[in-house]
Amino acid sequence: MAKRKVVLKGIIASPGRAQGRVRIVRSPKDLLQARQEDIIVASFLLPDICLAFRKNSRISGIVTEKGGSTCHVAILAREFNVPYVAGARAATKKLKNNSLVCLDAERGVVYEI
Amino acid sequence: MKFDNLPKIESLQRLVRYGLPIPATLLVFDCGKQEKEIDAFLRGKKHVSIRADKMNDSQFCPSIPRCPSAKAKSFCRKISKQGFTVILHEYFPLRKGRIACGHVLTLKEHILFELVDRGAVSRLDREGEVEEIIKFRKSDLAEAEHSGKRTASPAALKKIARLVRNIPCFKILDFTLMESGPYFYQIQDDETASRLS
Repeated sequence: MAKRKVVLKGIIASPGRAQGRVRIVRSPKDLLQARQEDIIVASFLLPDICLAFRKNSRISGIVTEKGGSTCHVAILAREFNVPYVAGARAATKKLKNNSLVCLDAERGVVYEI
Repeated sequence: MKFDNLPKIESLQRLVRYGLPIPATLLVFDCGKQEKEIDAFLRGKKHVSIRADKMNDSQFCPSIPRCPSAKAKSFCRKISKQGFTVILHEYFPLRKGRIACGHVLTLKEHILFELVDRGAVSRLDREGEVEEIIKFRKSDLAEAEHSGKRTASPAALKKIARLVRNIPCFKILDFTLMESGPYFYQIQDDETASRLS
């Protein structure tokens, strides 16, 4: 089993587990470029970004620096069974695009693989 | 009276049904016929909050969170002509007298608060700012989890938890905690919350 290092901790906004490559999202355009099994990492996701997220069923997980379990994105993530860890401070700085991570939204942590 | 097609008004009605305090409110269905009621509501108030609701189109309704009373009537007339039902609320300042505001989520065994200290609830909705998260056990209202800074005293939040303890599970309520007490603005169903413990 690969050695895992916890790189981020946050709030369990939508429980579940996922593994994939980090896709830092700073605009709706970035989200449309997401590839299969990407883990979306953003400062916060607004409802307009959520529209793209609804259509993009390839997203395997979400990590945001802000937000909580009652925000719009959290409700959508739970509705679409997408694991989501919110309130993970400095996520966009600590995680690098294309790095392989494991999102454990049952415990609210992100591991680097 | 049923307001099934006016979700915001229906939501306010549900809050009242659950015995939760809401700000002083006037629903305006017909500006002309309700002119005296509007005048009476605006009397003595420097500002009011104006929201609107519309059948099958409640997502993008005009609103003015802080409207001078002198301008409120003309705005009511304007949006009323566009087919909106107007919701006039008592205005609560964003800083003076405000302790916290945010969401409270009723879970199966817990009551979860996500709060910001000052400003509007939209800081939470639109900007994702969460300054305090606190979870109370439903059974004895003991504090089960806490993170962030203390925006309000646990005792004040416990009082709110007591108010919402008996309403059905998986509801998200928007509220503002003023020095004069809590005021609820909205209640929404969130069945997805059954996945949270």
